[in-house]
Amino acid sequence: MGKRPVVVISSSDDEDGGCSVSAGCNSSRSKSERSVGRKKCRRLKKASVLNRQLCKQGHKEEEANFDALLKDFYEDFHGHSMAPGERGRRQKLGSPWADSRELWVDKYRPRSLEELAVHKKKIEEVKMWLEEWVRTSKEQFCGHVLVITGQAGVGKSATINVIASQLGAEVCEWKTPTPTLWQEYIHNANSGTHYISKLEEFETFVERVRKYSLLRSISKDGSKQSVILLIDDLPLTNGRVAHGRLTKCLHFLAQSTQIPTVILVTEYGKADCGDNTNYSEELVLSLERAGASKVAFNPLTFNSVKKTLSRICREEQCNVPSEWIDHIAKASGGDIRHAITCLQYFCLRPDLMLPLNLSALSITQSRGKSEDLSEDLNEMSKLIVNKDENLDYEFPLPFGRDETLTLFHALGKFLHNKRETVDCSALGRDLFTLKDRYKRFPLKMDSPERVVLQMHGQARPIADFLHENVLDFLSDEAIEDAWIVASYLSDADRLLSTSLHGQAWSPIVAGKHDPENVTQLVSASVAVRGVLFGNSHPSPSRWHAIRSPKLWQVEKLRRHNKKLMLLEKFEAYSIFSSYGMSVMATEYKPTLKRLGFRSLEDLQVCRKMTECSKMEVGVYDLLDQDELEGGASVESEEDEIEDW
Amino acid sequence: MLWVDKYRPKTLDKMIVHQEIAMNLKKLVSEHDCPHLLFYGPPGAGKKTLIMALLKQMFGPGAEKVKIENKIWKVDVSFCSHVSSFYWLIFQIGLAGTRTLDLELTTLSSTHHVELNPSDAGFQDRYIVQEIIKEMAKSRPIDTKGKKGFKVLVLNEVDKLSREAQHSLRRTMEKYSASCRLILCCNSSSKVTEAVRSRCLNVRVNAPTEEQIIRVLEFIGKKEGLSLPTGLGSRIAAQSNRSLRRAILSFETCRVQQYPFTENQAVPPMDWEQYVSEIAIDIVQEQSPKRLFLVRGKLYELLVNCIPPEIVLKKLLSELLKKLDSELKHEVCHWAAYYEHRMRMGQKAIFHIEAFVAKFMSIYKQFLIETFG
Repeated sequence: MGKRPVVVISSSDDEDGGCSVSAGCNSSRSKSERSVGRKKCRRLKKASVLNRQLCKQGHKEEEANFDALLKDFYEDFHGHSMAPGERGRRQKLGSPWADSRELWVDKYRPRSLEELAVHKKKIEEVKMWLEEWVRTSKEQFCGHVLVITGQAGVGKSATINVIASQLGAEVCEWKTPTPTLWQEYIHNANSGTHYISKLEEFETFVERVRKYSLLRSISKDGSKQSVILLIDDLPLTNGRVAHGRLTKCLHFLAQSTQIPTVILVTEYGKADCGDNTNYSEELVLSLERAGASKVAFNPLTFNSVKKTLSRICREEQCNVPSEWIDHIAKASGGDIRHAITCLQYFCLRPDLMLPLNLSALSITQSRGKSEDLSEDLNEMSKLIVNKDENLDYEFPLPFGRDETLTLFHALGKFLHNKRETVDCSALGRDLFTLKDRYKRFPLKMDSPERVVLQMHGQARPIADFLHENVLDFLSDEAIEDAWIVASYLSDADRLLSTSLHGQAWSPIVAGKHDPENVTQLVSASVAVRGVLFGNSHPSPSRWHAIRSPKLWQVEKLRRHNKKLMLLEKFEAYSIFSSYGMSVMATEYKPTLKRLGFRSLEDLQVCRKMTECSKMEVGVYDLLDQDELEGGASVESEEDEIEDW
Repeated sequence: MLWVDKYRPKTLDKMIVHQEIAMNLKKLVSEHDCPHLLFYGPPGAGKKTLIMALLKQMFGPGAEKVKIENKIWKVDVSFCSHVSSFYWLIFQIGLAGTRTLDLELTTLSSTHHVELNPSDAGFQDRYIVQEIIKEMAKSRPIDTKGKKGFKVLVLNEVDKLSREAQHSLRRTMEKYSASCRLILCCNSSSKVTEAVRSRCLNVRVNAPTEEQIIRVLEFIGKKEGLSLPTGLGSRIAAQSNRSLRRAILSFETCRVQQYPFTENQAVPPMDWEQYVSEIAIDIVQEQSPKRLFLVRGKLYELLVNCIPPEIVLKKLLSELLKKLDSELKHEVCHWAAYYEHRMRMGQKAIFHIEAFVAKFMSIYKQFLIETFG
């Protein structure tokens, strides 16, 4: 009992630490909280836990409800509840007691350079830069913008915050104002508020920073605390004009800002949104031209994510099997924020993560011996891991980012056709043995269908790309392989043409089991697997540029030529007959070409005809006008009506 | 004007080659009426010539006054697609309706007939067939006696029509049979559905024999005032693959290249044929993925120039067969047929032609290894 107050104080301290790191505008609030907390603690120095809990409960009512909820949850499955008793145990162990309420992402926000999962060298780069500008703090520097690029959740802002707190600098952040809905604006229109676009707001902000260096004066007087301006959330631009404005505005900022400024640019997956990537790349380029230095953060490595996750597990006292951590880390795709959230989610209800049959099985086992949850988990995860290996990711993880691949990345995978080099003994274990020529080593990637799904590809372009490029990847002798590949591609084309003419890909019927959809999937699978299977003697891997299909160009040209030929056809028509396209192409044109002079003449005639026909309503009249009128055809009138 | 067109017989009486058929047709239309007709036969046999002459026989010189239109047809297509789940169905009801397709097609028409190539419209051919026939039925010409006449619709390349189009053709044929007659023209009647065939009078137009071709060439030579050596004439005929059009075209080419004719003057092949035989040489020289890639480039060249892929494949096969031992011929032919079939079923011809080339290379290489070690 006597120990408890100490614990309380330490925990509140802990909390403060967490808050003070999250910098800027938060800090004042947390400070006041801390002071309140201190006061309370001093007042209740001798007080018991009961008192404290009372005050806390008064503080936040829903606490009790939440506990009850939790209890319900846990009793359902293991009789293993987060009852107050357990809570007490946890408290004794010294972990912050409000743990279940706070997101781990915030709670385990990195506080020191060591805790950052970012690569050491990148941290060093950023630190050097910041140190230089924060320390010098003179007026005459010119390139004081740092651009950090990287995908979401690689710790861009965390790095800045940690380094800033180390340097004792204050981070001022541009916070995007709350968005106004258009309806809201309409609703308030009478009250005289003007609609200001987010981009405009951002522009005025930047203008102010440039001109008056406002933030410097804001910083606390007396202490020579330096300020770092952090622009995290760039306003969303839509369209070229808006983007141009943003670029210009940032360009000026980079040239004339007077405080060290860090701009974070979040890169989106290339496959996700085609246009935006272009824009963000342009933006970074223009900033660099303005003298900004750039640091690119890569997705976090598997190991560093894993390290962080296991650290959190240790501190949380959660016994999560390492296989699961592996899974989570792998599924996160280098996004640590995501990985931590997954971990928390997982630790909340580990048993629910499992597919029904498995969990049912393990529940029956675990009834009675409710204590060793972790052991159960271990068993289950082993089962799952096994299952994974067998069924090739049949079983979907309940968490994990859906990785997207770029088309070229996936194509590279297919074309390079990397395989394990050891003969897997698993093949021999099968009930039947394959002939040698059908044997292939296992692939070094997910199942091809999965990859196709990840790149959101449609079968037709995939097949075209494979067709264009696959021959480069075959070894010089392997003509047999070339045939196998070609024949599978031919199969894929055949399958695709059964679909509604290949291009009728209406979004309305894009249900999951729509025949169209299935066709697409199947033919993509045939094409990809055909290429993988056929290429049994891949040429030694070297760098190949992947070309875009020449076929597309050819088809375009062909259509163009066909149109030209249709024009020429008129000329052939002039002699009271019409020819099919093939006759035109195979017999007439070559002959005309041979006859040279004449075809030239004909062409001119033809061109003249088309020109004058454009003036006259598109009717190519080859006979005397009078005669035709004498014929009193109903059609010509109709035509004119239609054409006009 | 090319000789092919210049010396095309304009009336049934003047036919040199298919006189019997011409006479029968003449008897057939003597009552100013005729059944639906289906002309089929190999290219260059004279189907079109017969049709034109027949029209003239039926309608007199009025059938010769034609105009060419490149017309855009607006077709309302009721818009329905496979709906698998109930929710989609609900969703669909709101969206169901018609959308308008714009189809561009060139037609050749006189007051009495309309001629068109519906297969030019690609996979939307069925709308064309329906729409045009409907429109024709609307505007029925009335002849001098006040009797309601009929119009003739000449459809070329019926065998290239899609199955759906042929079905709709059949229905429209029945529905509008009072107001219009159809003359269908195609290379192979086997690709025309049974239903359509049985509703027509089938006229088979054989390829002219070499003697007949020589006779036509001599006729033209006489008209042009040229002296044609018999040797050259028979060689042109032999090279023409029994296509009269082809023979006349190469006759004219020979005339431009060299006159007076000599007995052993070369008859130049078409340029694309030259190109195909070059490809065949490439294939036989070396069998490797790299060479296959090179061949692909050359095939593209042909396709860009609108040479139909079927013809490319056929020509390529015949060129390759010339260079093969007889024991391989059977297998190679088999694969050519196999990929030709798939090409017709599929969309991108190059995939299939290339597969054939790869297969040939693989067979040929195997053969070379076995024979020469």
